[in-house]
Amino acid sequence: MKILAFDTSNKPLAVAVVSDGNVLATLESTEKKTHSVTLLPDIQKVLTESNLVINDIDLIAVAKGPGSYTGVRIAVTVAKTLAFTLKKNLVGVSSLEVLAADGDESKILVPLMDARNDNAFAGVYQMHSGELVNLIEDHHTSMAKLLDLLKKYDSEKLEFINATDNLTDLIKKEYPEAVILNAKDSLPKAGKLAKIAERKPVISDVDSFVPTYLRLTQAEHDWYEKGHKKDGNISYVEEV
Amino acid sequence: MKKDTLILSFESSCDETSVAVVKNGKEILSNIIATQIKSHQRFGGVVPEVASRHHVEEVTHCIELALNEAKVTYDDLDAVAVTYGPGLVGSLLIGIMAAKTVAFAHNLPLIKSNHLAGHIYSANLVADLEYPFMALLVSGGHTEIVLVRAPGEFETLGDTRDDAVGEAYDKIGRVLGINYPAGKQVDEMAAKGNDVFDFPRAMVQEDNLDFSFSGLKSSFINRVHHADQVHEELSKDDLAASFQGAVLDILSNKIFRALKQHPVKQLVVAGGVAANQGLRQRLKEDIKKRNLDMELIFPPLRLCGDNAAMIGAIAQIQYDKKDFADLQVNADPSLDF
Ligand SMILES: [Zn+2]
Repeated sequence: MKILAFDTSNKPLAVAVVSDGNVLATLESTEKKTHSVTLLPDIQKVLTESNLVINDIDLIAVAKGPGSYTGVRIAVTVAKTLAFTLKKNLVGVSSLEVLAADGDESKILVPLMDARNDNAFAGVYQMHSGELVNLIEDHHTSMAKLLDLLKKYDSEKLEFINATDNLTDLIKKEYPEAVILNAKDSLPKAGKLAKIAERKPVISDVDSFVPTYLRLTQAEHDWYEKGHKKDGNISYVEEV
Repeated sequence: MKKDTLILSFESSCDETSVAVVKNGKEILSNIIATQIKSHQRFGGVVPEVASRHHVEEVTHCIELALNEAKVTYDDLDAVAVTYGPGLVGSLLIGIMAAKTVAFAHNLPLIKSNHLAGHIYSANLVADLEYPFMALLVSGGHTEIVLVRAPGEFETLGDTRDDAVGEAYDKIGRVLGINYPAGKQVDEMAAKGNDVFDFPRAMVQEDNLDFSFSGLKSSFINRVHHADQVHEELSKDDLAASFQGAVLDILSNKIFRALKQHPVKQLVVAGGVAANQGLRQRLKEDIKKRNLDMELIFPPLRLCGDNAAMIGAIAQIQYDKKDFADLQVNADPSLDF
């Protein structure tokens, strides 16, 4: 099976072609580039390097968030359009799980996405005979709450992944002995994304596949706060 | 005989996800429009992050409907076109990424089109354009007088210095208790009322082709607030009629000034505000009064709002000029001519 995998959920960009478990070509960029500009040319590059054309691909694997809203939308839009237009299988993988896949196998892995103001998107994972097991679901949280939640684990076994400088400071105060991988050293690996995708169910309804934002927009949040409720029958988008 | 050209086009610059198939830039084979108005009405205006999220929900389904309704397959297509600006960056990006992906997947040439040019060329879907022609582009984001000298060659003669005309409608609509978008309802109320408040006609004395609507908007709001303070009951229909009366005087004054400087055979009125019945009526009468031998082209209502068929129309001209883009196309939110 040939898999095209890509992740643009944060500043780095990662693209890979994997065939029967072997990475044929991979491209990673840590520089701050514009994903909307580079993603398709980079997909073209890894395909060319793999001596394949897009139609040879059997499965599209995409990091579906959480992360930068614009970043995950770019990857998800390309992934769902490719799957739709070429009738290929599609799998979405948590962007946090992709980060965890690069962690230390003996650790309790806590991949993070900085959500500003001392908040983060976070999940807790552990490797079990080569496979990642999700211990705490991905969620949006204040760092204080998250660090409190992690008290049930042996703090020496904790490994935080993709911590920005601010998050690192907060973690160090609570868990000085934990391993903290800085954002600069926590790059998503598209090869590993492909590997995870192989074990996940294929998306049956490509049209309704959307990013996992894990957060309402501010406008919707405020609207619900005012006591509004979504009328179950209303469709906010209509064909006219 | 020249071979037919079929273009699959995308438009997602604001709160409509639209995909169309257009033949030779003239014939609409399909023009699917998914509007998010009901969603943004909750917030009283378009919320960019909400808009971007809806575009991702809709885009592949719109492609499917557009191809099915046009009864074509990818093999029948000659190019893929997409709006790359102006507009909301997060919204533009969804159409851009989807269009690039389809072009890449099926090895089709990609065309990046200007949304404003698209609005003007919506006229091409209903009339045979003769160059040069004049265009009045009026919408929620734009108020421009544009001279189109030759296919795809635009010269902006006048622009707004503050609010776009559609924006002014929405702002005074809010004061009248009308939910966004207010244009249609204000237009209907105006037809029932009388222009009694004599709001200012900004810049009509000035010998330039630019617009200003913020002064009009402020006088309107001040008048209503003053009435509230002294418990005076104002007729909403008269308020609407007075506002629209000023808007139409300003638009008419400037467009006929432009037409005097550049006599042409056709005047195209495009953009969301081109749906305004008062404006349609007014320009028709003005042309008659002035005895001008000029064709007035208003696209049908469905083509006045944002839609992908208009992008297919302008893209055909770019296709003929072999004006193709590569896969690095990015959004340009403040694109102009
Ligand atoms: Zn528009």
